[in-house]
Amino acid sequence: MSEPVNLLNIAWALTTLLEGILLILIIRRRLSCSHPAFSLYIVAAILQSSAVAGSSWYWGQHTIQYFNVVWGSQALVVCARWTAVTEITRKILAGYSGIWRMARQILFFLGVIILVYSIAASTNRWEMVVLNADRAVELCIAGFIVGMLLFAKYYRLEMGNLERQLAIGFCLYSCSRVINVSIVQSWREAIRQWWDFFGVLSYFATLAIWMDGVRKTVAIRAPETPPVLSRDTYRELAQQLNTRLDALNRRLNHLFRSRSEDPRS
Amino acid sequence: MTVSLILFIAFTVVLVLLLAWAVRPLKKAPLTPDDVFEALSEERHYARLPQILQSLQFDDTAFIKDRGQGALLERLRQERKRIALHYLSYLEEEYRILQECSRILATLAPELATKGELARFRQNLRFIWNCRYLRWRLRFGLQPWDVFGTLSDMAGTITLQLEAATARLGERAMSTVNSASVPDERPGEA
Repeated sequence: MSEPVNLLNIAWALTTLLEGILLILIIRRRLSCSHPAFSLYIVAAILQSSAVAGSSWYWGQHTIQYFNVVWGSQALVVCARWTAVTEITRKILAGYSGIWRMARQILFFLGVIILVYSIAASTNRWEMVVLNADRAVELCIAGFIVGMLLFAKYYRLEMGNLERQLAIGFCLYSCSRVINVSIVQSWREAIRQWWDFFGVLSYFATLAIWMDGVRKTVAIRAPETPPVLSRDTYRELAQQLNTRLDALNRRLNHLFRSRSEDPRS
Repeated sequence: MTVSLILFIAFTVVLVLLLAWAVRPLKKAPLTPDDVFEALSEERHYARLPQILQSLQFDDTAFIKDRGQGALLERLRQERKRIALHYLSYLEEEYRILQECSRILATLAPELATKGELARFRQNLRFIWNCRYLRWRLRFGLQPWDVFGTLSDMAGTITLQLEAATARLGERAMSTVNSASVPDERPGEA
């Protein structure tokens, strides 16, 4: 069993290193201003890695203190992940007020349904409560992201490359966690170390996707104050919009009339 | 391996597949509002439906059969089937433009009716299914009248919905202009 343990430690160290590099990239590209929740999530993940490594060294891995540190920090990191996912969703959808209002309601209900299903379908053994909760939340995050991306696809909404890659990374990681927890629950100790290693590897892949997205992002300028329109300019723009809507209406009316003047009648 | 485990893994696989589909680039570039305006001003294809239906009727070519021109009859029916398939492609393209138009309107609208959007989504699925079904029916030489009629009606329904949506947008824009044009008459500033 020492092989996977060593591999796991190496992979763990590498992911922490990658997290550090990603954080530096985020700061250099000034994404901490435009994506504060995502930046905080990376900071939380780095702190979690340090806390878990420290408690493992201090108390050992088979102690209640270690368990508390691992799952306590995991709860905080999951909250940070939810916030980051919400931030991405807002960036993609919030520019379209009608779609955003509707999507918010549908995605909320979708999340609740997945959460309820996931809890209902889980085993009732009390020692699995933490793992079940973790899986339910991860499945909920994955479903929420897929739902949001389907909305964007259906309405052909423009999406930045960074937002797309962040969403893909979060979704793939959550999916891998769901599979990981499900398999660990079924076979437990026999293959646990290998599946832990698989979990770290999937996080490694996620970090690579995010780094690629952040690396390709051009430096974002500090947000400019929106230009203030004078009343005359506003009136002129509104008039232009009305003219276009009126033209569209007339064309649609024409289209409708062409149907009612069907030669069948 | 429990049923629960299989279900969780299957659900996750479905999510990954949906994710892959959702982030896949679009086959056709989305139309700009100008393209939609231009396309809407062109002649509508579904107005030609009665002629197409007539040409596909067996009665329409029965007189050739009566004169014993079997080869000619077969050629004529093949030609007409080809034209009907072309017509179907145009109808699909027309529907796509109307869909694009409704999507552009959705991005501009300050609020959307969830029920209406879901109904339109279902309608789109039905349209895609009917088109595929109709294509197969035409290829196998079956009579396609009912489905053609349904498709044409669907194009008409989406037009009606668009008209209602643009009218609402127009009213809103008009009320905004009206409220903007009211002079600022705060007490004490007159």
